[in-house]
Amino acid sequence: MPKNIHEIRDPIHVFVRVSTYERRVLDSRPFQRLRHIHQLALTYLVYPGATHKRFEHSLGVMELAGRVYDVITRGENLSEEVREFLPEVQDEYQRQYWHHAIRMAALCHDLGHLPFSHAAEKGLLPEGWKHERMTARIIRSPEMDSTWSEMKLKSDDIVKLALGPSEASKFEDTADLKFSTWETILSEIVVGDAFGVDRMDYLLRDSHHAGVAYGKFDHHRLIDTLRILPPPSSGDEGNSQEPALGVEEGGIQSAEALMLARYFMYSQVYFHPVRRIYDIHLKDFLKEWLDDGAFSTELPSHLGMTDNEVTVGLLKAAYDGCKPGHLHARRIVRREHFKRVYQRNPDDVRINPEAGKAVFEALRAEFRTENFRHDRYPQTSDAPDFPVLLRDGQIVSSRALSETLNRVPVISVDYVFADQSIYDTAKKWLKENQTGIIKLKKEETDNG
Amino acid sequence: MDRLKQAALLTRLMERLRENGSWCGETHIQKSTLFLQDLMKVPLGFDFIMYKHGPFSFDLRYELTALRADELIRIELQRPYGPRYAPTDHSKYIQGLSPITLGKYEDRIEFVAKQLGGKGVTELEKLATALYVTHHRAETGASVDERSKQLTALKPRISSENAKTAVEDVDRIMEKAQEYLR
Repeated sequence: MPKNIHEIRDPIHVFVRVSTYERRVLDSRPFQRLRHIHQLALTYLVYPGATHKRFEHSLGVMELAGRVYDVITRGENLSEEVREFLPEVQDEYQRQYWHHAIRMAALCHDLGHLPFSHAAEKGLLPEGWKHERMTARIIRSPEMDSTWSEMKLKSDDIVKLALGPSEASKFEDTADLKFSTWETILSEIVVGDAFGVDRMDYLLRDSHHAGVAYGKFDHHRLIDTLRILPPPSSGDEGNSQEPALGVEEGGIQSAEALMLARYFMYSQVYFHPVRRIYDIHLKDFLKEWLDDGAFSTELPSHLGMTDNEVTVGLLKAAYDGCKPGHLHARRIVRREHFKRVYQRNPDDVRINPEAGKAVFEALRAEFRTENFRHDRYPQTSDAPDFPVLLRDGQIVSSRALSETLNRVPVISVDYVFADQSIYDTAKKWLKENQTGIIKLKKEETDNG
Repeated sequence: MDRLKQAALLTRLMERLRENGSWCGETHIQKSTLFLQDLMKVPLGFDFIMYKHGPFSFDLRYELTALRADELIRIELQRPYGPRYAPTDHSKYIQGLSPITLGKYEDRIEFVAKQLGGKGVTELEKLATALYVTHHRAETGASVDERSKQLTALKPRISSENAKTAVEDVDRIMEKAQEYLR
């Protein structure tokens, strides 16, 4: 008798199990392409072990999404109030439908990534495009749609759960998608700020491959304690009615550990200055190397472009001065990257929250060269506020309960980099002039 | 709008909301900012979408995080409730750098704070959804009944009666706001 469930070995989750139908998605061209997209772009130039790909990350996200879904929809984990509000959890057909839908959304959530993932995205797609829009386009493509039909899934449901309302609202071809409360909760399981399994998997996996311990946390305990809960009281006479994803009291330390893991991974790995400047050099290279200086949003071109094609181009350009992008390729391949000449610090931020921009503009004006780069990336989400079910049945805000969540620092990247040939001179000049450079002037005219 | 001017306006809004009795949690700031931007035409530049608890801006959520990183706002806690936001003393310095922008919009901020400062989350969700329906979903000049129906379609937990009251309340606020928009 043929097997209907297939096991795939995974270094993080031990086994990832897929059904025969799901394996068709795995075997599709868009999904197989993810075998050739590095999860962390050029981070392997700093952490040599970080050569893992979007392929295994996507499998891990699917595995975790299924586990979370099973926990939160288990009968004993649902209160009467939630059952009444979310009829989907009581109907066995719907429960099964959404189980398949969330696993497929999790599996496909990264299909639209460009070569080298996030590193090369900004500025290399036309206005109104991000990888999430490409993801939606691929999920809705005829090739994938036939598989969804066989699985009796609607492609738009998969798009909704894979993008979430925030991203879906940004693009003209997904802005009209309407999210029910149930669909919003399911999308939060996949890509949400608080307990999104995308984040859970990338922290664990990136940590494992980079060879650092910062991203590890007790995800088994966290997942076991996740619940759909009514929201906590806000502190005034009103109280929102909509349920949200939260945890039982026993899981709060695991949730804290997740947020700390995020903080440590961002500060130690994702925002490592050398990793950041390699991203910038890569983007500079691609602007010169790609036809028209941008990636195509047409599916055949997108599917035919992976890290492999770009890497071949980089290697050729690095050693041939006649090739487009030579200078930038050389900076990457021969490790002649720019060095950090300025970074944000609390004293400067008190004078000017955008001090890096001021420093960058002053350096460019003084030295009249293009040999500086500015990298600004403010952390987008604070520690989340989610409902916590106490042992006495009371529901409270996580931020009210946890000192730790309130003390997790917010990270904000503000670096200025200089070409090594000018680094020492620029550093010396900056030291002498920085106080005046970052000082803000009072508004004198009404310019909006 | 320049980010520092935007920060000056947001921190001033938080000050005024608190002076007018607001809890000043994220929901209160979200809904008040919608009114300030959509109704009072203060060009803050945030995109709002219809989310679980009514209109919501992820850009604004990100900016609140950034303001905390810049030490312009801080979080206050009062168990068992959710966090409240408070401008720091340092925010005065940033406000002081944008006297023209603040002067231009001060009365509009004060108006929004007076109208919404005393309202709780449930009420704010209804009013903000009613404003969103009026500005973004309904035809110009749509009746109270038409807009109430659209509101309950978006938020089925809100009764028809409550939806109608919310739309009427928003109409009253819009009428009063005209004085500041001339």
